[in-house]
Amino acid sequence: MATAQNPSTPTMRPGVQPLRAGQGTTFLWRKLHSLLGIVPIGAFLLEHLLSNFEALKGPAAYGAQVRFLNSLPLVRVLEWVFIFLPILYHGLYGVYIWLRGKSNIVYYPWAGNWMYTAQRYTGLIAILYIGQHVLRQRFMGISLPENPGAAFAKVQHELANPWMLAVYIIAMIAICWHFAYGIWLFAAKWGITPGTTARKRFGYICAAFGLALAIMGLASIWAFVGPTYRNAPDIAPLSYFAAPVHAGSHTV
Amino acid sequence: MANKTVQLEIKRQATPDAPAVWEKFDLEWRPGMNVTSALMEIAANPVTADGRSTTPVTYDSNCLEEICGSCAMRINGKARMACSALVENLEQPIRIEPLSKFPLVRDLQVDRSVLFENLKAVKAWVPIDGTYDLGAGPRLFPQDQEVNYPLSNCISCTCCMEVCPQFNEETGFVGAATIAQVRLFNNHPTGKVLKEERLRALAGDGGIQECGYAQNCVEVCPKQLPLTDAISDVSREVLLQKAKDFLRG
Repeated sequence: MATAQNPSTPTMRPGVQPLRAGQGTTFLWRKLHSLLGIVPIGAFLLEHLLSNFEALKGPAAYGAQVRFLNSLPLVRVLEWVFIFLPILYHGLYGVYIWLRGKSNIVYYPWAGNWMYTAQRYTGLIAILYIGQHVLRQRFMGISLPENPGAAFAKVQHELANPWMLAVYIIAMIAICWHFAYGIWLFAAKWGITPGTTARKRFGYICAAFGLALAIMGLASIWAFVGPTYRNAPDIAPLSYFAAPVHAGSHTV
Repeated sequence: MANKTVQLEIKRQATPDAPAVWEKFDLEWRPGMNVTSALMEIAANPVTADGRSTTPVTYDSNCLEEICGSCAMRINGKARMACSALVENLEQPIRIEPLSKFPLVRDLQVDRSVLFENLKAVKAWVPIDGTYDLGAGPRLFPQDQEVNYPLSNCISCTCCMEVCPQFNEETGFVGAATIAQVRLFNNHPTGKVLKEERLRALAGDGGIQECGYAQNCVEVCPKQLPLTDAISDVSREVLLQKAKDFLRG
């Protein structure tokens, strides 16, 4: 059953298509995804973990930190442009990347392949966790930008639920893992660590960094559930002396 | 010495659309036996383990010394060269399947021409054609030879593409072998005249950005090419090229 065919229109090849040399825009979208993971999302994660660490100093210090952050100029613009939208894009495009990959860890259980798979699962944990975390802590319940003194109690009430505590602990470890390996991947894929030795050394640095972040994060969680600040006041009185000078008005 | 038996299970498929069936073969063990020599023995006497006559197994092979890149197949689940897969090092029964990411022709033979198309798409050659004698080419420094030689060992077996989680019909990823050849020809004193074109080609859909750095390619490569190093280096150069193109307008 030979059918006449125009030789100038090649038939669709079966199997994986060859490179579409120089065509399309996936390069731009993929590199944007990669860059956003470091800046601003990674930078924001660092800020968030450092701010959380203030909880170890108690409800007043934690509230003061929340007030300081909300006193930044154009804070709502910063929040959307440098936090919400980048995370949304990074998360959604990340899921798209995952769906297009075909994991073969069963046949090739090698270290790099495990990390490739782990980066996808930790990313999924992160996006699900961040979704509920932003909804419940930022947009539901008492509004913290208006009542920074209520920050400690709000988190403490959330973590009083042992299921929620487990979610926070798992998410903390998954996100620190994702970020630490993400930095390593960024360096490898942007050609910053092009040699095997460089990648190995940088791997140790990223592992130590990720571990340090996870320990800091878990210590902050401990501040809310440990015995030190049990039953924190719903709205902690904030001392202006504890806050940076530019944090608010000089009147008490 | 008692005769030992080698058990093989081979995935057979008469045509690309025919259903796949597994056939078992028992062969007499010989010293130094490898998977290609086992397939040759089956071809000489195509009878299955239960005594049924069958067709010889179709497969690609040529040099029998891991230098031509023809005989890549999945042996006990892993992509590798059949000629260097020594039977005495393999768990039995030895399960042999065709590569899974390429259109099947018959039995263990697949169509790997996508690699050739990719090499053409990135102009993986040194352009020396002219209307007159161009004379001797420029000298190659020993330092560049050190970089180029390992990359020139690629045998186009496509194992790196087979094991890559990103090489599939969804992404149309170009694969590590082609990227390594871009690194090679961009480092050649005459070949680098096409450097910018190669880098721009690799920024296209299915280009270098699809790499997920699972690093299976470098683990599986039978010729130990520094594939992940090449991906890092070429990634940076593609990025710089795109940035330059953008700023130049």
